[in-house]
This record gives sequence, structure tokens and C-alpha cells, in this order.
Amino acid sequence: MQRWLSPLLFLATAGLGLTGCGRPFDVKTAPGLVELDDQEPEYSYRAIAPERVVMAVRVVDTKGRGDLEFWTRATTLRMHELDGYALLGTADVKSRDGTPGHELRFGHDEGHKPYLYVLRVFVAGKRLFLVETGGPQPQMERYKGTLDWMQATLKLD
Amino acid sequence: MKRVHLGWVLFMVLLAPAASGCAGEMKAGAMVSAGGTAPEPPAPPPPPPPAVAAAPGGGPLALAMNDPAKAKSVSDTPHSAAMLIYTANLSLAVFQVEPGLDAVERVAREVGGYLSSRQDNSITIRVPRDRFDDTIVRIEKLGDVTHRDIKAQDVTDEFVDIQARLKNAYSIRDRLNELLSRAAVKEALEIEKELGRVTEDIERMEGKLKLLRDQMAFSTVTVTFAPVAVEQVQDSTILAPFPWMRGLGLQSLLNVHQ
Repeated sequence: MQRWLSPLLFLATAGLGLTGCGRPFDVKTAPGLVELDDQEPEYSYRAIAPERVVMAVRVVDTKGRGDLEFWTRATTLRMHELDGYALLGTADVKSRDGTPGHELRFGHDEGHKPYLYVLRVFVAGKRLFLVETGGPQPQMERYKGTLDWMQATLKLD
Repeated sequence: MKRVHLGWVLFMVLLAPAASGCAGEMKAGAMVSAGGTAPEPPAPPPPPPPAVAAAPGGGPLALAMNDPAKAKSVSDTPHSAAMLIYTANLSLAVFQVEPGLDAVERVAREVGGYLSSRQDNSITIRVPRDRFDDTIVRIEKLGDVTHRDIKAQDVTDEFVDIQARLKNAYSIRDRLNELLSRAAVKEALEIEKELGRVTEDIERMEGKLKLLRDQMAFSTVTVTFAPVAVEQVQDSTILAPFPWMRGLGLQSLLNVHQ
């Protein structure tokens, strides 16, 4: 009995790793985008469309420090005051599991071409979740429905 | 009887403030001893208002940044009558730089000013002094203000000093001309040399006065659009002492490694 239990456990563990279940979140990749392999240590998840539209998720261990407002303000200041991103708008959002978060919409010129960068900030337990989407403005507008759908599938553990 | 009554009144008057001052302390002390535990700490002060949200839209020109209560128009200061040169340096984060530069140039024309210089990310305009405040307010609406530096330089002393020296130089020139008309050839050469030097001084001082008058009549506004300088980005540890924050943004997001 024990002899066939070990391979079973191994397969189960490997299966979890392959499907990405080891992540503290779940997100679905929409048709039109492809998930990239092993994006550590920067990203826990990153998917890209051929038109250079990208969606990514970062997970940061905050050790319980800072609440949603703190991290939202810290990231806003970082993007706005140091990197010169223009804050186009903010919104309150929720993940699929009901975790409240904030969305920050930034615009930035890259080589005189307008780009959009949307950052969603969530705090769940001792983790900070940063969901980033970005790309050239026309492509971002084209992919809006797809990206909205992907955002809506995000579930935090 | 009357003396006794007056004494009581004086006693009560002196006692009343002391008693009221003690009441608060006694009350606080009573709270500690009555329950046997420390009182609940007061509610924390509200967080400071976000500077980012306050910046767009501008409002009245604020010399004290991020403090709308101290917002004050430059031209409303008591020094309005003084000889002042206004200069402003603004940094704006905008979505699109090129339309931003165009908009600043348009503002300059609309207020009766003109374009002084224009580069890739910055533009300098000159605007009439009485439209300076209006210009700043309009420019601040074009994007998010990340830096604002407004100066009023008092040049009254300098102006008056040059005027006095110029007046003196004119009278020296007149006297030299008078001497020249009566001088012999050898002396005339010396006088002409001196006259040349004085004329040169006069031209320089006239030029300086003209420049000061122009600088007073037209204020200089320089607007720089994002991205900000590299030196400022290296300051990131001040605002973002978390290493992962440096990776935020389009550059990292769109730079796909496999």
C-alpha cells in the first residue's frame, strides 16, 4: 500500500506545480494572450498578447505591514512623482473572492507614443497583490474587454 | 460689610480660572484611577491630505506647496508696487508630452505672451506680468504638477542704483563733450578716449535697464514634462524603500525575458 502511495503523492505535487496551483491566487488566461513560463522573481504570473499588451501579477510578502490605503498611496507616489506617470483615474475594485482593492490608471509617453499602465492593488492576509496591465494605448483599448475579463477571474487565497 | 463683600468677589475671580484649569487634569486623573487601567488613547489624527490629488487643477497659485490654506496670489503680495521679476519653474507629469508642449505655447499666445524656447520635454514662455497668476493656473490644469518653484526677485535696489550711475554718466559725458569742443589736439585725444569709455558704460547700463524693464514686464515660465531626471529617480529609496517597487512600471512589465 505504502509503495504505490509515494508515486501518487509525487504526481499530485507535480501536478499542482504544473497547473500553477502553488500560487496564492488564481487567474485565467483569456484567449488572445499566452502565459509565459517562470516569470520569477519579479512576477508570479505574466501573460502577453502579440501586440505587446501584458498582464502580470506580483505577490509581495508584507509581513502584515501596511494596509490597502498605505500600499495604494506608496505605489501612487512612486509612479506619479518619481517616474512621471500621469494619474488618469482611480477606482475601487474587488477580486472574484470579494477582496477590496484600488485601481490606478496611469498614462505615460514612451518614445512620444502614449502608453497605458493600470495597476490594481489588493491586500489579503500578509500579502500584497499587484495586478499590472500595460501596453500601447490603442492596443490597450482594443484588449480592454479581454483584460477586464482576466481581471474579473482573479481570485486571491 | 462692603469691604468683606469686595474681598469675596476678588477671591472668587482669582480662584475661578485656577479651578477651571485644574478640572481637566483632575478629570483625567480620575479616569485612570477609577477604572484602574489606562484610558483609551485618543483617536489618531487623520492622515495628511494626498499631495497628488491636490495638485491637478491647481487652484490659486500657492507659494506654500501642498497647503491650499496658504495659497496666495503672487501679485497680491505687499510688494506688488516694488520692482519684481517673476519666474516660475513647473514640472508636470502628462500623458502625452507633445500636446502638452503645444498647449503651453497656446496659453502663452492667449495671454498676450510669446514662446521663448522649446525643447523635447520642456518649454519656456514669456507672459505679461499681470497675467502671470492666470498663466500658472492654466498650465497647472494641463497635467499633474510634480514640482512647483515660483520666485519673485526684487530688483528695486539694482534698478535705482543703475539709474543713479547712468544719470551721473550722462553728466560726465556732457562735460567731456563740452571740454572736447574747446580742447587742443593733444588733449582732445585723451578726452575722446575717456568719452569712449563713458559712452560704453552708458550703453551697458542702458542695456541692463532695458533688460530689467523687460524682465519685469514679462514673466518667465518654464514647464518641464515627464519623465523626470535620472537623479531624481535614484532618490527612489526615500519614497519607496521596498526593492520590488523599483520594478513597477511599463519598462519592467513589457520587457519580456524567457
